[in-house]
Amino acid sequence: MDRVPILKIGPVLLVSIQVDMQDQMALALQEDLGQRIVDTGCRGVIIDITGLDIVDSFVGRTLSTIASISRVLDAETIVVGMRPAVAITLVELGLSLNGIRTALNVERGMELLARRADEDDFAEPDFVDEHEISKSP
Amino acid sequence: MTDANLLQLALRREQDIFEVRQRGREAAAALGLEHQDQIRIATALSDIGRQMLVHAPNVEVRFTVTGEPPNLRILMHTKGHLDGQTIAPVGRLVDVLELTSDGQGTTVMLSRRLPDDHVSAERVGEVKRMLASSAVASPLDELASQNEHLLSALDEAHRQRDRLEVLNNELEETNRGVMALYLELSSELEETNRGVVALYAELDDKSGQLRAASEAKTRFLANVSHELRAPVTSVIGLLRLISDPGSDPLTAAQAEQIGLIRASAADLLSLVNDLLDLAKAESGRLDPMWTQVDLGQMFKQLRGTLKAVLTTPEVELVVDIPEDGSWIESDEALLSQILRNLLHNAVKFTDRGEVSMRARCEERSWIITVADTGIGIAPAHHERIFEEFYQLPTRQKVRGTGLGLPYARKLVAVLGGSMSMESEPGRGSVFTVTLPVTRQP
Repeated sequence: MDRVPILKIGPVLLVSIQVDMQDQMALALQEDLGQRIVDTGCRGVIIDITGLDIVDSFVGRTLSTIASISRVLDAETIVVGMRPAVAITLVELGLSLNGIRTALNVERGMELLARRADEDDFAEPDFVDEHEISKSP
Repeated sequence: MTDANLLQLALRREQDIFEVRQRGREAAAALGLEHQDQIRIATALSDIGRQMLVHAPNVEVRFTVTGEPPNLRILMHTKGHLDGQTIAPVGRLVDVLELTSDGQGTTVMLSRRLPDDHVSAERVGEVKRMLASSAVASPLDELASQNEHLLSALDEAHRQRDRLEVLNNELEETNRGVMALYLELSSELEETNRGVVALYAELDDKSGQLRAASEAKTRFLANVSHELRAPVTSVIGLLRLISDPGSDPLTAAQAEQIGLIRASAADLLSLVNDLLDLAKAESGRLDPMWTQVDLGQMFKQLRGTLKAVLTTPEVELVVDIPEDGSWIESDEALLSQILRNLLHNAVKFTDRGEVSMRARCEERSWIITVADTGIGIAPAHHERIFEEFYQLPTRQKVRGTGLGLPYARKLVAVLGGSMSMESEPGRGSVFTVTLPVTRQP
């Protein structure tokens, strides 16, 4: 079974989903990512869904779950590269990506994470707000 | 426009969802829906497909174009139960979302209006072909369909075998019947055959006996006539001596008696001669002398001799002399004998009217007819008159041996021809002799 590769770029883990995610693949990604977070101690995860044309409620929920797991493991998850059509469909479906921060692309996502890392140096880590995708920056 | 089927798919397991939603997206794209709508439809298919697979392992998905204005309609049917609440959010992605449940299962209908107001049948066909050609079946699907084909082929083979068996049995039955019939027939045939062979042998035997008897008769006739001729000849010679003017004169009464004796003896001699001729003809020892015979000449001679025989002026002899050059290859003496016999016969049985003889050539044969206006012969006697010594019972006063006609007929046969007669009592008779112009080998 195919697995989604998880790349470590500095303090950030980059997950790039390029193909339609099957259920098994999504579950495997959950496990792999948790393990990598623990192994590397990374505090930021960027999930790139540029390659996903269709995000149905199952994939949406899976992304939410991954974000929740990462947060529990003290890592921030940012979903980047969402296509407008996907965004519209998700909204119409009434699916909120709970606990997921979003960014337009990988670069902006890295910036966001870097900023957060700086803030963390001074402040107690605040709990991440729940953002709906329509409010994403 | 009427419903047009685009595509039918089966959803069996989770991986199939990707196939279904991909095809849904292709169909939407092909029918001119914009990108956002393609994503909407694919997402809707994906969500509902997952929900259905949770409850039952088999979902039928059918894509159709239907209605006026046209809609892309997708029907998803499962045998399982589906809660309407769980799929309600999907309704926001399409124009119509309907869920119907009955005893057979659950059907979800999705419908999205197409941007074009009219979608031609050709276009639908094109889309259908496009979707069919791009179908990528998974190995498992391939296997499943192959399996189905194999099963149906096996079923068919079973049915065929059963049919064959029935046919075979019927054939065997028929065969047995035919064999029985054949045996019966062949035994019957054998029986008949044996009978025929026995009959044939019997016939052979009989014909041998007949031949022997006939030969004995001929021999007897020949011997008897030969032995009889000598005494009769001497009787006639002696009578001639007695009545000779140089002998002792006789009284008138004696002379008359002697005349009667001479006439009787002459009759006897002619009878014996006739018998001898007949015996010769029958024994096959009669060898014709084949020459070219002038029929005209012969007819003239016959007319001459017959004139002398005519006893009453009420009978006219008519002989049509054939034109010059009427030749026939035959034996002159025998032919003359035949015609003479016929003419004598005719004259004998005719009191008034005419006796005529004519000849005509037809298809390499001479047909000679001798007709009279005499008493005629009843049909019952037509064949018998050709028997030796047979005389019609009517005319006792007519003298003769009864050998003339049978002898003539024998001679005609010897010359390679045939003789027939037509007659009616009171109207006369016609004897017809048919002879080949040239000798037949």
